[in-house]
Amino acid sequence: MNIAVCVKQIPDPAVPGELDPESHTLHRVGKLILDESDSFGVEMALQLADKAGGGDVTLISMAPNNEVSGLRTALAMGAAKAVLVSDPALAGSDALSTAKVLAQAITRAGDVDLVLTATESTDGYTGTVPNQIAQLLGWPSLTFAKHVEVEDGKLTIRRQTEAGYDVVESSLPAVVSVTAGVVEPRYPSFKGIMAAKNKPVDQCTVADLGLSSDDVGWSGARQEITNVAAAPAREAGEKVEDDGSAHERIVAFLEALKVI
Amino acid sequence: MRFAFTDDQLAFRDAVRDLLDRECPPAVVRDAWTNDTGRSGAAWAHLADMGVLGALASEAHGGLGLTLVDLVLVLEETGYAALPEPIVEHAAVTVPILEDSTAAAAGRVTVTAALDGSGLAPWADTAELIVLPGETGAAVLARADVALDRRESVDGARRLFAVHPRAGPQAVRPALGAFERGALGAAAQLLGLNERMLDLTVAYVAERRQFGVPVGSFQAVKHHLADARLGLEFARPLVYRAAWSLTHGDPDAAVHVSMAKAQASDAARLTGRQALQCHGAIGYSFEYDLHLYLKRAWALAATWGDARWHRAQIGQTLGLPSGSA
Repeated sequence: MNIAVCVKQIPDPAVPGELDPESHTLHRVGKLILDESDSFGVEMALQLADKAGGGDVTLISMAPNNEVSGLRTALAMGAAKAVLVSDPALAGSDALSTAKVLAQAITRAGDVDLVLTATESTDGYTGTVPNQIAQLLGWPSLTFAKHVEVEDGKLTIRRQTEAGYDVVESSLPAVVSVTAGVVEPRYPSFKGIMAAKNKPVDQCTVADLGLSSDDVGWSGARQEITNVAAAPAREAGEKVEDDGSAHERIVAFLEALKVI
Repeated sequence: MRFAFTDDQLAFRDAVRDLLDRECPPAVVRDAWTNDTGRSGAAWAHLADMGVLGALASEAHGGLGLTLVDLVLVLEETGYAALPEPIVEHAAVTVPILEDSTAAAAGRVTVTAALDGSGLAPWADTAELIVLPGETGAAVLARADVALDRRESVDGARRLFAVHPRAGPQAVRPALGAFERGALGAAAQLLGLNERMLDLTVAYVAERRQFGVPVGSFQAVKHHLADARLGLEFARPLVYRAAWSLTHGDPDAAVHVSMAKAQASDAARLTGRQALQCHGAIGYSFEYDLHLYLKRAWALAATWGDARWHRAQIGQTLGLPSGSA
């Protein structure tokens, strides 16, 4: 079973992020790392391929400047190869443009039975890309999977809900977004790290995917960020001096919040 | 000669840093002071799976055939985390000595050593094999063939044992620079501990306010921390050089190791003192994390030859009269 995993390479979340003052979009300069939320999909894919008794795990990524450092982490975990779309024309792409590029990259990878994604990226978090990819490919979309199984060509997931989970079945091929915690990602081994740099990374441009640069990036964006404002500072809480009636004030406060 | 770490070596470091960040936070080090084993629990098995424990073993013996230059940054990270495991004794000192290191490389057996001249072996009560100095080399003993006598250590998460061999089988192996590898490993860990204490202190003085400003804005505090940083950055290249010299059989390797261990020990002790000073009273409290790293630094500065002993070694090679170091 061949599995494609969409992985995003993002600026290290430990470093405070910066917005470009002109475009209000995230600055993506310097080294990028594998989005931690994608490591769950990579691990799930490796386990599913292993259980199916074979098949390749292919990484699908779109990043500026042919950035591969995040891909290397996932290749070191055991993914076989990667398709990396990098093109100056992609700057400013909105979620739908991103989905178009990723869907085309999945098609380019060829012979894919299952696509895994995270539920959303850690730096952009629109949460819409997985569904858009499925729609563009014309495949079923299954979301928020906390458990994934493939048996006799049938896909079964447990879809996380507020109360518990729904069991959802689908035929293959399909697109599944997995939650953090679907599986525990492995640590890359030294052997894996050494092998990763020799694994094939298919670097391609927008034109290579048969897309027009008018459909992506700033020119293709259907959304525009008009303004960005700092989150309001947290206001000081209310202090209650206890004159014997403090408990009533607390109860009233909690009632107002509909906690009790 | 390109004297810089390769992408692989930096990736090994990053992978181990990430692993220890998750598997060996301060709570794990704190727990090792009082738990049954004095060790980390999960981190050791993960390090074995990653290939760290067998890095120096040959591929025929389950290892990766890597060198101390590949391992030195990794050992530095284990210092940063104050990993409560005999990783220096196991991965750096004894794996290259064992006749068959397959089980040690896989982490199925833990090996410790009493080869630093003190006669004491850390974490010996949970190690399967203990390596002692023999008359003609290093003697490898099973734990069942020794009697252990717990000794006090300033660092409660680095349990020390005097090892008394009972009559029994002893496999004697060539020691092959074991002492130098141990001193280098301790020096690398001291760099990491130094960095950790600096990180903790810089974070603290940026947060702690006095007279309406962070105490880190006072020049006297900045000077303390700049001195600490300077000592660390002067020690770092000596440690890396020593790793290279041991790997490539430089005839002066032992001197380079002595320079590295002396400087790394002094630098870590200085940083520890400045860290304690800049923290004020809270630095002394058991509940605060600084002591976990400070006490490991004190313990390691005194093992595998302290700074004074190593300076004396350097002095001897320079032909200086003994006692002038």
